[in-house]
Amino acid sequence: MSEAQLELTYTALAECIGRVGENKTSLLLATLALDLLSQQADAKTALAHILQAERLANT
Amino acid sequence: MTTASSFPDKVPVVIAGGGPVGLSLAALLARHGVACLVLEADASYCEGSRAICISRRSQEILGWVGADRPLVDKGLSWVGGRSYFQGTEVLHFKMPSEPTERFAPMVNIQQYYIEQYAHAAAARIGGVDVRWSARVTAVRAQAAGVDVDFETADGATHSVHTDWLVACDGGRSTVREQLGLQLEGMQYEGRYVIVDIEQDTQRAVERLAWFDPPSNPGSTILMHRQPDNVWRIDYQVADHEDPVEAVKPENVLPRVQAHLDMIGETAPWKPLWISIYNAKCLTLPSYRHGRVLFAGDAAHLVPIFGVRGLNSGLDDAGNLAWKLALVQQGHASQALLDSYSVERVLATRENIAYGAKSTEFMAPPHHGFALMREAALRLATVAPSVRPLINPRQSAPIEYAGSPLNQPERAGAFAGGAHAGLPAPEASLQTLQGPGHLTALFGTCFVALYFSSEPDVPATLQQFAGTGRAGAAALRLVRVAAQGAANADTVVDALGQAWQRYDAAEGTLYLIRPDGYVMGRWRDAAASPAPITAALARVLTETPHE
Repeated sequence: MSEAQLELTYTALAECIGRVGENKTSLLLATLALDLLSQQADAKTALAHILQAERLANT
Repeated sequence: MTTASSFPDKVPVVIAGGGPVGLSLAALLARHGVACLVLEADASYCEGSRAICISRRSQEILGWVGADRPLVDKGLSWVGGRSYFQGTEVLHFKMPSEPTERFAPMVNIQQYYIEQYAHAAAARIGGVDVRWSARVTAVRAQAAGVDVDFETADGATHSVHTDWLVACDGGRSTVREQLGLQLEGMQYEGRYVIVDIEQDTQRAVERLAWFDPPSNPGSTILMHRQPDNVWRIDYQVADHEDPVEAVKPENVLPRVQAHLDMIGETAPWKPLWISIYNAKCLTLPSYRHGRVLFAGDAAHLVPIFGVRGLNSGLDDAGNLAWKLALVQQGHASQALLDSYSVERVLATRENIAYGAKSTEFMAPPHHGFALMREAALRLATVAPSVRPLINPRQSAPIEYAGSPLNQPERAGAFAGGAHAGLPAPEASLQTLQGPGHLTALFGTCFVALYFSSEPDVPATLQQFAGTGRAGAAALRLVRVAAQGAANADTVVDALGQAWQRYDAAEGTLYLIRPDGYVMGRWRDAAASPAPITAALARVLTETPHE
C-alpha cells in the first residue's frame, strides 16, 4: 500500500469510528479485525497479530 | 522623521499591513519599479517570534530582493526531525536536500527578523514608504481606484487615493471587513499553547515532537530551536482546560520545566512569549475584488502544522508582485490579476487539505481520530510501514494546475522534467561568476532557458530578448550548455543536473515566469517560435512579431 493509500485508509477508519460513536467502536473494530484476521495465511500469523496488538495496547 | 502632513495624496499601490507579507510584497514591487505606501497599525515590528519556519521556496522569494543573505546568516537551517511516542523514537524524517543546494529545506528564525530584513531590502531598493502606527479605518473601492482612510498615532485621520490596494493586514483584516467579505471554512477545537523560552543549548537543529511524553502524559509537544538561544515549544492542552488559564505562567512554566528536565536541557531558562492557538482552515473564495487584492492571513488562515502560514503568504507576494507590476506599468491587462487569485486560491485549498491532515493527527478533532492516533503511534514502534502517518507534511511548493497562464504541451513531447504550472527545478551549475544555481536566475523577469550545445542562439529566439521591454516585462534568454565556458548569457550544466531535471534535449526551451514557475516548454522552439509568441501574448499586451 502506498503512503497516500495508507493515509486515505487511516482517515476513512477514523471517520468511520466517529460515525458509529464510542458505544459501538469496540464492536466495529472487532468486526474489522476478525475480517482481516480471517484473511491471514494461517492461525499462527493471526495469533501473532493478536498478541502484538495486546502488547501494544498495554503500553 | 516624517511628519503627518507629508502623507501623499495619491500612490500607485497601498499595502495595508506591514507584517512579513506586506513588507516583502513592498520590496518585491519596488524591485519591479512600482512605488508603494505601507500602512501598519502597530508601532514597529511584531512582538513574539510568531512564524518561525521559513521554507526553501520562501528563501528563494526573499532572495529576489536580497533579503536571503541576512536570513540565512542569522537563521538556523535544518533538514529533518524526530518524533517520539512515550520514550521511543517512532519517526526520523529528512526533507529532500543535497550538499550543493542553494538553500536548506527550512530555516528557523523569528518573524520579526523577517520583517526587518524585508523592510531593509525595500529601503535599499527605494520607492517604498513604510508608515508605522497608521491604522486603516475605511476603504472605498471604485472602478478607477481605491480611497483609503487611516488614522495615525496622534489621532489625526488621513486619506490616500491609490490605483491598487493590497490587503496584507492579517487574520483580522480591516480591509476584508470594510469590503464586507468573510473567510469561509472551518476551525478545529484542539488548542496548543505556544511558548518561547531563552535557554542555551547544544542540541542539533531539528523538528522535535513528543507524543504522550512522560513529562506531560497525554499531551503532544513540539520543539524548534531559534536563533539567540531561543526554543519554540508548542504543547497540546486538554479539551477541558480553559484557554485563559492555560496561558498563565503558573500553568505553563511547570510543564515546560518538566519537559526540559525529561530531555536533559538543564541550563537556566526564562520565558519570552506565551500564546495559544487552534487550527483554522479558512479562505476567501477570491483574492481579487476589483482593485483590492488580498494576500497572506488576510486572504487565508491555514493550520500551523506543516508551516504553511507565512510561507504561503510569501508565495502570495511572489505571485502577485510581478503581475501587479506589469498591470500597473501598462504591460498587461487587469485580467492578469485574476490569475493571481485562481492560482493562489488553488494553493490555499491544497495547503488546507494538507494542513487538515496534519491537524487530524496533531489535534484529533474527535474520538475516531484520537483512537487511530493512539493505534498508529503504538504500531509505529514495531511497524515502519505506518510511520509515514506521523510525518508532519512540511510545506512544499504547489503546482498551479489548470492556471490560465499554463501553455499546452505537445502530447508525448516530454517524459519527465517540469510541465507548465510547476516550480522550475533547481540545478547546480557554472555561471560567469562561478558556481551557482539555476533558480538564482529567476525573480526579476521572464526567463527562457534554451538547452543547447551550439554557442550561437538562433535569431528566431534572439528576437524575444531584444524587444526593449524592461522590468518584469523583459525576457532574458539563457543558454544552458552541457559543457564549455559560462558567459553573461550562458550557464554550464557540468553536473548534468539541469538537463536531467528538465528532461532536456538539444533545442529544448522552457519559458519561466518571473516567479520561477514554468509557463511552457517546447522541443523545437527555434524552428517554430509561434507558441512562445502566443505564450507571452497570454500575459503581455505587446509581444514581438515573428
